[in-house]
Amino acid sequence: MSARPELVVDGFPKRRPRWIQIATSADHKDVGLMLIVGALGFLFIALIELLLMRLQLAIPENTFLAPQTFNRMLSLYGATAIFLFAIPLALGLIYYVVPLQIGARGTALPRLGQLGVWLYIAGATVLYAGFLFTPSEAGVNPFAPLSELAFLPNNGVDAWATATGMIVLGFVLIAVNMVTTTRNMRAPGMAWRRVPVFAWAGAVCSWLLLVIGPVMLGAVTMLLIDRNFDGIFFADGSGGAPLLWAHLSWIFYTGAYMLILITALAAIAEIVPVFARKPLFNRGAVMGSLVAIAVIGTLAWMQNMLTSPIGIGWMYFAMIMSLALIVPFGLIVFNLIATMVGGTLRMRAPLLFAIGAVSMISIGLGAEISHSMVAAAWQLKNTTDATAATHFALIGGGVFGGFAALHFWFPKMTGRTMGESLARISFWTMVIGILLAFVPLFLAGGEQGEVIDAYKFFDGTGVNAYNLIASIGTFVLAIGIILTLVNAVVSRENGAEAGHDQWGADSLEWFALSPPEPHNFDVLPDVRSSQPMRDIRDAISHRTGGAASQPARESQPVA
Amino acid sequence: MLWIGFVAAAIVVVAINAALIYAVRRYRSERGAEPRQLRSGRRIQFRVGAVLTVFAAAILVLSIVFTDKARDTPTTGSAGLVSARSAPLTIKATGQQWLWRYEYPNGSFSYYKLVVPVDTAVDLDLASTDVIHTWDVPDLAGKRDAVPGKASTVVFRADEEGTFTGQSATLSGQAYGAMRTEVEVVSPQAYKEFIASQKTEIQAAQDRVVSLIQNGEVP
Repeated sequence: MSARPELVVDGFPKRRPRWIQIATSADHKDVGLMLIVGALGFLFIALIELLLMRLQLAIPENTFLAPQTFNRMLSLYGATAIFLFAIPLALGLIYYVVPLQIGARGTALPRLGQLGVWLYIAGATVLYAGFLFTPSEAGVNPFAPLSELAFLPNNGVDAWATATGMIVLGFVLIAVNMVTTTRNMRAPGMAWRRVPVFAWAGAVCSWLLLVIGPVMLGAVTMLLIDRNFDGIFFADGSGGAPLLWAHLSWIFYTGAYMLILITALAAIAEIVPVFARKPLFNRGAVMGSLVAIAVIGTLAWMQNMLTSPIGIGWMYFAMIMSLALIVPFGLIVFNLIATMVGGTLRMRAPLLFAIGAVSMISIGLGAEISHSMVAAAWQLKNTTDATAATHFALIGGGVFGGFAALHFWFPKMTGRTMGESLARISFWTMVIGILLAFVPLFLAGGEQGEVIDAYKFFDGTGVNAYNLIASIGTFVLAIGIILTLVNAVVSRENGAEAGHDQWGADSLEWFALSPPEPHNFDVLPDVRSSQPMRDIRDAISHRTGGAASQPARESQPVA
Repeated sequence: MLWIGFVAAAIVVVAINAALIYAVRRYRSERGAEPRQLRSGRRIQFRVGAVLTVFAAAILVLSIVFTDKARDTPTTGSAGLVSARSAPLTIKATGQQWLWRYEYPNGSFSYYKLVVPVDTAVDLDLASTDVIHTWDVPDLAGKRDAVPGKASTVVFRADEEGTFTGQSATLSGQAYGAMRTEVEVVSPQAYKEFIASQKTEIQAAQDRVVSLIQNGEVP
């Protein structure tokens, strides 16, 4: 075989320290890494906040946290888990992987994405700077009028709204870049029908963010005007409508919930075929279902408002939309399992976490069915049953699914693999932890009607044992999660060296080096199918007469 | 109603997890085994989609039926308050940080504890003076939000005497966790006596305050 070196740059820039290089770079890989690392850091902080709340709720009528402190922890936990962990992790993975997957040498609007990540960092700083004086006490979703100046006069809610505004604006900018990149920068021959499922999901999530992001931006702007400039958007009595905040914020939160699940399921749909060594059972059905989830799922926002004074017709609309989600979610899970059937499963960490994610998401979404049925929702809404359902779905998607993606793409990002045995220990600890932590909350909420968000529960209401088990379970879950974080930190320097095509996957990110060069690819491949990397491997083995080869290392021009 | 959701969730969870466990146990890689390069045509997808649609539609229909039933306005029974036979007994419940105030038809009111007659249709009109509260007494009725400036109603009938406890279910500020309420279901006679005595006591207290002010004992 004749190697054909290509001259891509005619002079190398001076090497700066790695962290300065990353922090000042607009390269999609550096920006993506910043988002991923930031998200995982905030996962740790969210865990600490959750543990403090669970400590308070371990025994009845506990006085470990003052009510005010508890509400602050609750508000910080909600903002951290959603805005600083789950969405950035999804976006970070998309931002890192998708340009590689579509065979692009970069993104279309790199500076916009860089601005996005710095807005995320600025927002996180504002939120936690608020922690130094007075964080928000208004809860996970700060409903007006509680979040109005009259009821929470300190600057906590202002910090929350400013932080959220900056972060969501950052997400929108990143989404703009991803929409443009996936439209314009796909490698020659990569028609939409040949795009990897995860890249497709990246495009879907970006479009979704372009719809829901501005809604949230509008809502927080209105809240800031209300609080600081005598606005009356959400104030009752003078023409304002408290329910307006509920509608606007739930559109965003529901869309974000869908975004997290879409990203997780798409990553799993990349992982399962690789480790089953079988193509995805039906790509079209999975890709169509992802779009359906984005559209229908966001339209189901009033599923969260079934106890509010909205008309029964709207309640039925929300119910129909959320029950309709059974079809796309069911089709995706069916196709994932059908892909496993008949394959030869290599039970490595990414597949293990992927299967765990599907299992946990099934519990969460199974429980959400009851919350979509109007009359049942009147019983179950705002009980810990809802807490448990949300956490199964979002920890299943965000943490299990996110960790599956992390283990899968870690070799690509760092050139090293994460420790396999530690991954296994972490996985099983997390499984035990999440079941112990949230199954009792299903029972406490569904059976005894324990309410959500309360800083204490009363003795004699029949929930003592449930809460104690849930607190212990949360500790176990946290240990499991921290083990994977430790694994990632240690493996970055000390993991086993990974190949460029570590898992034998079929998409183009494995054609680049591990970690990829700044320009991603020396040679842009000519895409002929939905499995370009397999075509490259076949072509190489054809030329070399079947000898094993490392295509990426040599950056072979193909065809 | 809850059992439908439970059964549906159980079907989903058991089916998916059983299939996952089966797939993992059966198709774990073995030496020399070659994966079957199966891909599905459209027909299988449409069939699975149809099955899922039927499942979702069944839940939807059942849910509409039961929701209709839950929305049926209960009627006052023979043991109930006589005056509530034609129209339900209307009581106003006002949520405020962090207490419920109940106002009865005769103008009297009570805080924290609501007293209602047994076997009587009660129309609880929810209102809020400050932030959103959720009235929730799980053993009596479904929960409903009291949103400032918006009317919402809980209709229920208590079939037996006794005390039912509930807790507000929307975060409403610092003492939210302690914002409880209690519904005491008594005989119609005891109910009438209760609101009458509340009325006289409130009147007496007000008279006393007025006289204190007039006598200059309270500035």
